[in-house]
Formats: sequence, structure tokens, C-alpha cells
Amino acid sequence: MIAIKALSHTYPGTRRQPPRQALAGLDLVVDPGCFAILSGPNGSGKSTLFRILCGLLRPSQGTIEIGGADLFADPTRARALMGVVFQSPAVDRHLSVIENLRLQGALYGLSGAEFDARLAEAENWTAIRERHHERVDTLSGGLARQLELVKCLLSRPRLLLLDEPTTGLDPASRKAFLDALHRLHKTMGLTILMTSHIFAEAEDADKVAILKDGRLLAYDHPAALRARLGSEMLVIQCADPQSLGARIKAEFAPKMMCVHEAEVRLEEIEPSQSLALLERILDRYRPEIASVAIKPPDLEDVFIHITGPAGAGPQGGPR
Amino acid sequence: MIRVAAALAKRELVRFLRQPSRVVGSVGQPLLFWLFLGAGFTPSFRSAGLEGMTYLEYFFPGALLMLLLFASIFSCITVIEDRDQGFLQGVLVAPVSRLAIVLGKVSGAALIALFQAVLLLLAAPFLGLIPSPGGAVLLLMGMVLASVGFTALGFAIAWGLSSTSGFHAVMMVFLMPLWMLSGALFPVTGAPAWLYALMVVNPVSHALELIRAPFYAAPAALFASPAYLTALAVAGGWAVLALSWALWRVGRVEKGA
Repeated sequence: MIAIKALSHTYPGTRRQPPRQALAGLDLVVDPGCFAILSGPNGSGKSTLFRILCGLLRPSQGTIEIGGADLFADPTRARALMGVVFQSPAVDRHLSVIENLRLQGALYGLSGAEFDARLAEAENWTAIRERHHERVDTLSGGLARQLELVKCLLSRPRLLLLDEPTTGLDPASRKAFLDALHRLHKTMGLTILMTSHIFAEAEDADKVAILKDGRLLAYDHPAALRARLGSEMLVIQCADPQSLGARIKAEFAPKMMCVHEAEVRLEEIEPSQSLALLERILDRYRPEIASVAIKPPDLEDVFIHITGPAGAGPQGGPR
Repeated sequence: MIRVAAALAKRELVRFLRQPSRVVGSVGQPLLFWLFLGAGFTPSFRSAGLEGMTYLEYFFPGALLMLLLFASIFSCITVIEDRDQGFLQGVLVAPVSRLAIVLGKVSGAALIALFQAVLLLLAAPFLGLIPSPGGAVLLLMGMVLASVGFTALGFAIAWGLSSTSGFHAVMMVFLMPLWMLSGALFPVTGAPAWLYALMVVNPVSHALELIRAPFYAAPAALFASPAYLTALAVAGGWAVLALSWALWRVGRVEKGA
């Protein structure tokens, strides 16, 4: 559904700012019907890629096909296939729910009975349908997000692009939104590409792409990504992880180790050995260690491993 | 395309009516300016060839033009707000023509401006300014041209700005002077030479002529007057150029190096 080839983008420099490369020769294919998550630390090029996909930015080089249509040569055909949910709300707060939806209908040439039919189809999954005459600024954050989604679905897109759609939602609203998204993905056979910082959101995806410095570092099924770190790992929290990490490395020669913020992380440990290793480390360095845990790796661990300690920005790293 | 533009224009109207402060602000300011300046300057207003005209009367078309200018400015500020709030992104990713986006905003703004102008026009009969039916049509046309010119110009400027405060600065040093030097406040004749030159090349002076003349002459006489026809050509050209500029700005997509 999306075929990105050799995509590069450099923001032109100004007198005070040198040119900055945001994407460097990116290749990415999202198959029809795939639920893909695009993730990466701040400044990795996610937003640039997203803006290019929406047609709001022209890349320096490379091609993108959306459902077979060239996004730059035939933008109208490509745009007709996709629906976009931006991070900042694209609904008008001063208008009512139904006024916003009718306006969206007009943008896509829908009116009268056709609009009514499309609307019934697009909102059958949400409580929005009972609140047509309320002003958007009176809706809760979760419902406002659902309205964005309904708005997108009016044009019957084959591809949904979402830019961190759950930002600012409480956990319950976030879950409701994602559940709805997964249901729509299944029932309507949509292709979905969503950027996200929250790794719990990525666990249910078909594919997770990890971007850093404008390059694609990994693109795989979440389980396959987790398997890269083996089945168990050891996370040690301490005051001086650099020095402790160096000593552990010298003494125990772990297969994979990285230092991230206040943690020393030993990855890809044989499950039979993890407890023994833990005991030996505790024996030796107990006074320095604040806490220690054995756990199966999750996507966040994969992300830290792949993007490296320096790459994890304030929102990208664990809290 | 027309339907998309109409839907966007309708949104402008609905938003306008839901924000009473905007209605009060953009009708109130020209009204107060007109009343206070008009009443205050009337005793000292003596201009060659305009004997017998109070300043209140002289300033009335200028106040109308000011109202159109302010209505346009308020509408253009919403361009920046729409960008900030993301509404515009949603419109830009839809498969709609860029011309529809510009026409939607400009025609919505023009309708709002005309609605307000009609409120101020209710004062005209008290000044003895009653245009003929044909004159009223010409007056309306003049107001439409002026408001399209202002809005399209403001739209093109606002499109590239990221803050409303930046737009206020542009408005004060660029849009307001266009109005001040239009003959709205003082007659072109009698101004110092350098000012006279500026006023004559200012397209807004010509828009003002389109608004002032229909109060005083019949349509037939106007169409025989070279001054009026020149004003019509200049104001029309200004509106078309401003619209083209706005369209060019909207159609431009940021490109990589």
C-alpha cells in the first residue's frame, strides 16, 4: 500500500542554520492490510516522513507510491486513498460535531443521502453518533480523538496515517481509541501507519519500524524484534552505571550489554543462567546496586538496544 | 470546487456569529472612530472644493473602508489560528483544489465584512447620503472589490506567518498605512507632493473612490467619468493580483534542498 524508495530529505539551511538532513535514503514497504507502527527517538525523522507522506512536504529525493499512485506526480489520486489523523486536532472547536463532519464531507464531495450513509458507516463504532449537536470544545479528549477518526473514515480511505494519535489521552481513553483502531483495521481491512512513542501500543501491531537519524534501523514483527534480545534480560539500576558496567563487562563477559541512563542492561541471557548471574553480581556489587530485575525483553528494551543510549530522547527513553 | 469553497465560507460565517466579541469589535471600532473623529474634526474641516461638507460626512466612506479592512484583518488572523490548531492541515491533505481554499476564505471574509458594512450603512441616511438604487449596486460592488483585495492580500501575508502577534505588526506598518493614505482621513488634493504621489499609486485610494462616488453621482454619470473607470480598473486589478498571490502561496509546497 505504501512503497517508499530511497527517500532523502534535507531541510534547506538559512544564514544562521546549516542545512539539516532529516531522512537519509529510506526504503520502507507497508503491505496492504498491515498495521505498522513507526517509532524512533525525537529528531529521528518520523515527523518529516509523516509530513512527506501527507503531501505537506516535498522530499529532496526518492519516490513514494500510495496504492500504486505516485504521491508527487498524481497527488489527487494518492490523497483520495488516505485518511490522516494529525497530532494536533484538525476539527474546528467552534463548530458542532455534525457541522465538522458535513464540512469534511464537502471536502470529499459527499452530501445528501450519500453523506448520511457514509456517516452511519463511519461512526457505527463510537458514541459520537449520539452527540451530533454538541460543540467540539465540550467533548472529552477521548471523544474528540474519536471524532477525528470518524471524520477520516467518511472518505472510505484504504490507508490511515496517524501521528501520535493518543498523545494527551488518559489510559482508559487511549485504550478505547486503540481498541477501536484495531477493530477498524480488522473489519474494514485498512492499512494503518501510525507513529508512536508508546511501546505498549506497538505490541499488537503487525510491523514495527524503528527510525534513527533518518535511517531505518529495524522493521519487523514485534515478536521477532523482541527475539533479538533473547528470552531474558537483566536490568540493574545503580548510581554509577558507567563504572559498574565496565567492571561487570570485564568480570562476567556478558553476550550483550548496554548502559542506558541509570541502568546497566545485560541482554540475551540463557534463561537457565540468569538467576545464577544475578546472584553472582549481587554478591560482588550489592552496596552499589539500587535494584535489579530479571525480565523478558519488551519492545521498549528493543528500542533502547537498537537506538543506543545516546539516541533516546526525553520522551523516547523509559521513565 | 464551488461547493468546497462554499462549505469553507459557511464555516467562516458560523464561526463569526459564534464569537460575539468579533462582531462588536469590528463594527464598534470604525463606528467609534467615525463618530468621534467625525464630530471632533467637523468644526476645523475646510477643504478646497468640499465647502458645505461636514467632516462626519467626508469621513463616512473612509469609515466604511476601515470597517472592511478590519473585517479582513480579523479573518486573516484566523488563517494563522487554523494553521496552529491543525484545521488547515486537514483541509490541505484532502483532494481539493488550492483555489477552493483561497476562495472559501476570501468569500467568507467578504460576506462577513459586507454584513457589518450594512450595519454601518444604516447611518448614511442621517447624513443625507442616500444613493440611487443603481448607485447602491455600484456601492456594493465597490465594497466587495475592496474587501476581496484586503482579504486576499492579508491571506497571502498571513499564510507565511507563524504568530498572530507578527501579523499585528504587519497590519500596523503595512495594511493600516494603505488605508490612511487612501483619502479616507483627508483629501488627496492639497496633500504635499510626496504624499500625493503615494496616495495616487495606492490601490486602496481607488477602492475608496468606488465607495465614495456612488453616494454623489448616478451610475450613468459614473460610467462616463474617467476617474471612476480608472478606479474600477485599479481596484479590480488589485483584487485579482492579491488573489493570485494568495493562490501561489497556498500552492507552494515546502521542498527539500
